[in-house]
Amino acid sequence: MTGPWNADIREFVLAFADDEHLMGQQHTEWIGVAPFLEEDLAFSSIGQDELGHAATLYAIVAGEGDPNREGGIDDRRLDALAFDPDPSRWRSAHLVEATTDDWAHALVRHWLYDTAEQLRWELVAESTLEPLAGAAARAEREEWFHRRHADGLLDVLLPAPGAGDRLRAALTDLLPLAVGLFDPVAGEVQAVASGVTIAPFDSRMPEWADRVRARFDGDLSSIDLSPSDRATPTGRTTRSNAFGPLLSRMREVLDLDPAAIW
Amino acid sequence: MGRTWASMDEFEAFLDDGGTVEVDDEMPDDYRQAVFAFIEMHANSELMGGLTERDWIPRTPGLRHKMAVLAKTQDEIGHGHLLYMVAADMGLKTRREMLEDLFAGRSKFHNVFHYRAATWGDQVAISFLVDAAALASQQAVFKNCSYGPYRRILKRIIAEEGFHMRMGEERMMLIAEGTDFQQVMFQQSLNNWWWPALQLFGPDSKPDDVLLRWHIKSERNEVLRARWVQKFAPMLISYGFTIPDPGLVHDAEADTWTAGPIDWEPLKRTLAMGGPDSARRIGEAAANWADTRWVREAMDNAPDRAAGAPA
Repeated sequence: MTGPWNADIREFVLAFADDEHLMGQQHTEWIGVAPFLEEDLAFSSIGQDELGHAATLYAIVAGEGDPNREGGIDDRRLDALAFDPDPSRWRSAHLVEATTDDWAHALVRHWLYDTAEQLRWELVAESTLEPLAGAAARAEREEWFHRRHADGLLDVLLPAPGAGDRLRAALTDLLPLAVGLFDPVAGEVQAVASGVTIAPFDSRMPEWADRVRARFDGDLSSIDLSPSDRATPTGRTTRSNAFGPLLSRMREVLDLDPAAIW
Repeated sequence: MGRTWASMDEFEAFLDDGGTVEVDDEMPDDYRQAVFAFIEMHANSELMGGLTERDWIPRTPGLRHKMAVLAKTQDEIGHGHLLYMVAADMGLKTRREMLEDLFAGRSKFHNVFHYRAATWGDQVAISFLVDAAALASQQAVFKNCSYGPYRRILKRIIAEEGFHMRMGEERMMLIAEGTDFQQVMFQQSLNNWWWPALQLFGPDSKPDDVLLRWHIKSERNEVLRARWVQKFAPMLISYGFTIPDPGLVHDAEADTWTAGPIDWEPLKRTLAMGGPDSARRIGEAAANWADTRWVREAMDNAPDRAAGAPA
């Protein structure tokens, strides 16, 4: 046994996997068009890491709690979870569905997401679902570099007059989407009860909000950063307008020939 | 300060004896220019190759597959990164000057990256045929390259390019054993990319080619090209594909494959920035470079980063 497993835990892990998948997917759009070569390389690495986290989480789901079941999860079963679900079955946050067409937004989203991601992995670091705890330990080793990367850039760019304005404008655009990361997802209550996670994700939202304030030194009063009494938590059951084109892009080759193996 | 040579004859004798030139040596200006131009073009090609492939990364069919493709493109851009540093150390242009020359259409990159990867089949064909051609060229340089910094970087580049070619081969084999749709798609990609990949080796080397005389390259273009045809023509035919060369000759007795007459006009057009996709490629790269200028300017002007800001 690797720990508790049922339909609720499945939903809980899938929501995390969907976020990691789409965050990695979004980073792939910034390879080769970043401001300098080192950033092309950094976004490549970070994108690979996030997709790798998604693969790990989908493998836990495919193996019903045990990613090593029957000798491991092959690519077909993984991709069935990663690409095939109907849009209504996705549980991604709108932050990772959004298209960003400038590098300021890409950088600010990277910081907002990875700051939240740290807190999210911490909640499952001692998970009773052993593969999830193992994934958390591995992810944190990588995420430390992600945060250092984003912070290193923001340390330099935020104080610069023009650059700082661009980044703060990006924050204003993205923050309403970022709070959706904390929306309770199906299965979370049961995941807490069974020790798969130690607390609801939105219990860490005040800490995340403090970090956002400290980082950007801005007035965030227009954004509702309080935990689950926020006005419109969606439970991640609705897709943003950006999702349809994103999924089409991800499935473009897969849809050419359903019988093909690439 | 490194070594000096009293004359070009003495320098060439040093090279003929297998001597290795280092960055702080007082190398002849013509040698410095030739090596620099060669490395700059290699760096530009790695970067533009990465940009050719990047269009398809978000559409890669499969999660782990996407991670692998992402790593490959990261390798290519990483090669560009290393090569620009080696070139910049030669003191003729900074990395930023090289990039700005590239995006302004003032410097060259390999012919194959003046074409567009229009389908996923093209992406696989690039990873297989083009990477193999580039690898063959790089191996021939690495074997006996007289410029030490370049040779040392090539060791890593060649190791990684070998993985890329294997990945392309594996993907090509899946397609060859796949559906009719896949096979038709890849045959079209082969039709599109066979000749540009073959032309990547360039026309026959001239007798007075300084790159050969100065041991920057160690094999003639026509030798490398013939070896590539000898390897890939029978391999692709064995997988059921057709080589788009009506003049291709197979000598069954000697088991040799020889390409038909080569039209060099497409190569010449790409070198003059007149390739099928040159304008779009350069235009988009230049636009992206301009869109992110604010980041570079902020970093250049940051008070505690007066030195060492990336180009």
